[in-house]
Amino acid sequence: MNPSIPKSGSVQASQAKQPAATRIKLPEDRFDSRLKRTGFNLLPPLLTFVLIFVLWEALIWLLDIKLVILPAPSGIFGELFGEFSFYLPHIWLTFYEAVLGFMLGMAAALLLGVLMSQSRLLERALLPVAVMANVTPIVAIAPLFIIWFGFGALPKVLISAICAFFPMLINSITGFRAIDDNNHEYLKSLHASRFEIFLKLRLPNSLPFILSAARTCMSMSVIGAVVGEMSGASKGLGNVIMVSSNYMQMERTFAAIFLLAIMGIGLTSLVRLAERKLLHWHSAE
Amino acid sequence: MSYISISNLSKRFVRRGQWTEALSSVDLNIAKGSFVSFIGPSGCGKSTLLRIIGGLMKAEEGGIKVGGRSPQEMQADKQFGFVPQAPALFPWRTVLQNMNLPREVNKRSRTDLAEDEADPIELLQAVGLGDFLHAYPKELSGGMRQRVGIVRAFASGAPILLMDEPFSALDEITREVLMHQLVRIWEQHKKTVIFVTHNIQEAVYLSDQVVIMSSRPGRISRVVDIDLPRPRGEKIIESPEFYQYVVRLRESLRERWEA
Ligand SMILES: Nc1ncnc2c1ncn2[C@@H]1O[C@H](COP(=O)(O)OP(=O)(O)OP(=O)(O)O)[C@@H](O)[C@H]1O
Ligand SMILES: [Mg+2]
Repeated sequence: MNPSIPKSGSVQASQAKQPAATRIKLPEDRFDSRLKRTGFNLLPPLLTFVLIFVLWEALIWLLDIKLVILPAPSGIFGELFGEFSFYLPHIWLTFYEAVLGFMLGMAAALLLGVLMSQSRLLERALLPVAVMANVTPIVAIAPLFIIWFGFGALPKVLISAICAFFPMLINSITGFRAIDDNNHEYLKSLHASRFEIFLKLRLPNSLPFILSAARTCMSMSVIGAVVGEMSGASKGLGNVIMVSSNYMQMERTFAAIFLLAIMGIGLTSLVRLAERKLLHWHSAE
Repeated sequence: MSYISISNLSKRFVRRGQWTEALSSVDLNIAKGSFVSFIGPSGCGKSTLLRIIGGLMKAEEGGIKVGGRSPQEMQADKQFGFVPQAPALFPWRTVLQNMNLPREVNKRSRTDLAEDEADPIELLQAVGLGDFLHAYPKELSGGMRQRVGIVRAFASGAPILLMDEPFSALDEITREVLMHQLVRIWEQHKKTVIFVTHNIQEAVYLSDQVVIMSSRPGRISRVVDIDLPRPRGEKIIESPEFYQYVVRLRESLRERWEA
């Protein structure tokens, strides 16, 4: 009397016959486990931050450090949440400048990258100019932009765009070029046009390169916007830092720095999200 | 009546100021609908010849006509299904999307071929990939990827298939399974297949003709007709006739090696 053996055997057999059915179930499980995984991934860094703030607070209390040198986290967060309506327009402006600059720099870099990847001559002619623009410290150019384009958002957007431009240019050229020879020859055997080879092979091939550059460019463009604001502005988080540190309002300075850090993390995570959505086919993901 | 006719064809490469004679006065006729294998030592110009037939390269001397036209004209009409050594699958495309690639490019040419196209899903099912239509290449094993590459060539409707050592990176068992699957599909679809290989058994089992090449300079040293019955089942491999062909090919290959 042993009915369990044939039974389990038949269950296995029917499962083996329907791999499609088992695969359909997966997304739910994955959603659940992804939620857990996100929690797991967030927990350690969160704990580290809490620990740092606690130590920081304790140190200030123990060593009796003066407010003008280093404010306590409790004071910084008090300032931040107490006066949040003061920060809101500044956050918005810096965010706007950085994102617009990012998009502008990225668009220009991609356009030029397409052209330069198609012509070695163009690359040799233009790359040195791009390299020179890249090695010149942006802080040195920023005041010029303020003189040329005024105190408004425009010079900040431009500086931010310049900061985002170079990494995107270099990476997109690499991505357009680093195609698999087999795939290239395969398209040629079908008599695909140069445009088709670009569209079907070079462009999708460059996606991992472009998105990984986008992460760098995103933080670069925030830096660009802040540098611009520090070189001459009446608004924005960079300006808040300049003014408040001149007046020794350390809690405000730190609050603005925290906000910039959070903005940087938020924006780069957005790029990461896009990476995960767009590159599911990529083996490194 | 030959479909592909090659006469007195030579191809040279320059590398670091030195000439390499990759192919030297090659003459060959291939009938329409036949399965022809090329076998020979490494560097004897098999891939080069395949590329010249497919219009991917031009020879300096001699003539080549495919279906009465130049390889470039045939290529412009998408008459070739190319299967390179590593399967040219685009990683951002699913299996089915990769199968559709030949249809998506060079659209101007496809007027007369459309009716020859085979159902890609049916073909994938025939090689045991029915459950992987929407899988990405990274989710497939090497053998599965190679199968997609081969089946894609059959599905495209191209009458001439050019395969450059499609099984060379596979283990023995997978290679055998794919070999049987390939012969079965071919016997159904009757395309002209040019098949480069290093494996003698494979060449005998699959082909109507085996072209033996020798190197330095690359030339054709012998063409052997394989008169084994079709359809070819797995039993043929154990038959004495099959064995005789294998021995004959091995001997003539060894002669060329030692010569
Ligand atoms: N693009 C190229 N540039 C220079 N030399 C080449 C090129 N392609 C092939 N050759 C040379 O031509 C000769 C034949 O090469 P080919 O790739 O056709 O050999 P093969 O028979 O396919 O070899 P294998 O079995 O190793 O694939 C070799 O000596 C090789 O060095
Ligand atoms: Mg080769």
